[in-house]
Amino acid sequence: MESKKMGMGAKNRLLMTLTYLILCVWVVITLVPIIMVVLTAFKTDGEISMANFRWLPSSFTYFDNFKEAWRMVNWPVCFGNSFFITVLVVVGSLFFNSLAGYAFARLRFRGRDLLFMTILLGMMVSPQSIIIPQYVMMRSVPLAGGNNMFGSGGTGLLDSYVSLIVPFLSGAFGIFLCRQFYSTFPKSLDEAARIDGCGPVRTYFYIFLPLSKTILATLTIMKATSTWNDFFYPLIFTQSERMRTVQLALQMFKGSTTTHFNWLMAATLITVIPMVIVYFLAQKQFVQGIASTGMKN
Amino acid sequence: MKQRKKINNENIGYLLIAPSYLIYLLFVLVPVLWTVAMSFTDYNLREWHFTGISNYIQMFQDKVFLKSIWNTIRYSLMTIPVVIVLALCLAMLLNQRLKAKGFFRTLFYLPNIFSMVAVSMAWLYLYDTNSGILNRILNGLGLESVGWVSSTTMSMISVAVMSIWNQVGYNMILFLSGLQGIPEHLYEAASIDGATRWQKFRHITIPQLAPTTFFVFVMACIHSFQVFGQVLIVTNGGPVNSTTTIAHQIYKNGFEYFHMGYASAQAVVLLLIILAITVVNWKHGKGGTNDGE
Repeated sequence: MESKKMGMGAKNRLLMTLTYLILCVWVVITLVPIIMVVLTAFKTDGEISMANFRWLPSSFTYFDNFKEAWRMVNWPVCFGNSFFITVLVVVGSLFFNSLAGYAFARLRFRGRDLLFMTILLGMMVSPQSIIIPQYVMMRSVPLAGGNNMFGSGGTGLLDSYVSLIVPFLSGAFGIFLCRQFYSTFPKSLDEAARIDGCGPVRTYFYIFLPLSKTILATLTIMKATSTWNDFFYPLIFTQSERMRTVQLALQMFKGSTTTHFNWLMAATLITVIPMVIVYFLAQKQFVQGIASTGMKN
Repeated sequence: MKQRKKINNENIGYLLIAPSYLIYLLFVLVPVLWTVAMSFTDYNLREWHFTGISNYIQMFQDKVFLKSIWNTIRYSLMTIPVVIVLALCLAMLLNQRLKAKGFFRTLFYLPNIFSMVAVSMAWLYLYDTNSGILNRILNGLGLESVGWVSSTTMSMISVAVMSIWNQVGYNMILFLSGLQGIPEHLYEAASIDGATRWQKFRHITIPQLAPTTFFVFVMACIHSFQVFGQVLIVTNGGPVNSTTTIAHQIYKNGFEYFHMGYASAQAVVLLLIILAITVVNWKHGKGGTNDGE
């Protein structure tokens, strides 16, 4: 009996060691590309060249790459654009989607389920398969961007904040998640509100909205990350330098510095720092958000 | 009186969904129909004519487009199984009593917060033929340099590897939450019956985790059929179209050559493929779906 227990202990210890070993291997795999970005951003041209290559930069106070990266792109404008777009998209979509989710979950109206079905369909539509009409629509908005009243002649709303904000104020996924969330509350909540004389709108603002902190936090993180990181729509919808977002600026930067990997890595580092800070401040919300929205909970 | 109130409430329902639904209608549903309509024309931003199914005929004679379909399938086959197996393994390992569990979880999820542009930049440097880290390691070991993204044999594998690196953490979190949802007493009962670790995994974990696995699989399929960012930035579809994907072809035809009618036909194909994947999976995955009904 005693020896069997000892055997089990040894086996468990072996399994635990193996567990940590595999986890550490994945830690290394996760970190190597990131560490290489950081190290390279501090290296001189000589240190990344084939001849005198070294793994570590000779000094972590060599900021010339950052200066160069900063000089070549108007980063304040790009960060300003990305920030402005992200804030408006997050605030707007949170409000509109939670209102719609509330109505789909708690109110009765004709055609409700059919309308909701069409929203579920939208979750399968990928941006690439509808980008062409979206582009044409933005381009042919009448009386905007040099267009005449029939929507031709100019560039319409392309290359404007509107094109990068308005389409994203709604979203199938956001409405769906809010509707699922508001469906979990008991019916008695609406009834109590009605007895107290609240209409549906007041019920939403006074009862449901204050209870929505978790879903709103999750949606904030998800929407902010995807908007900040989006590269596809800015690539298609914008042309001028003053409309560039951070992601687009980084991609453009790459085109101009194929040989200077140290500059490129410095620029990459500049663009990811805000996201990393937000992640480490709110990592719980990130992980819980994925866990609770990925699956019905 | 009561009747009037009901009608009133009904209108409020429409009113509350209106902002969200109208934007959704205008920017998602209408474009879907518009894409289909445009696929039967030769629209090029200036003029259009109805051309019937000629875009579709052209498409299936277009060697580059057929290649892009095959590449997209190849990319999916390279990434999805690896991502699912790795994510499940890591989740199982993390779902024990461990020290530094939070550290591992936070770190493993980290690659997913970076934009695809930033991830591509990091891997471009690792992959670079002349000054990249991977080749430096190979050279250090006395081996020949490999054209990670410049040879037709390696390029798609390289794109797949960086995507796997990017996606494992996200799927691990999904599996982890699935694993935590399995009732502990199932394992306890199995232990009393003398089940081995493998038997518990085979007969409790796998079936209990089926809804999560199903969801992860469907999402991974949908995402991998849309793969675009890393292809555009790292290889731009090359060399010799060895990494061009459906989404990349849509982009090129639509926004580089402005063959918008033709690109729309390709977009319809993408739409149908994703629809088919979802429907087929849904039929097979009944019993554990995520529709929350």
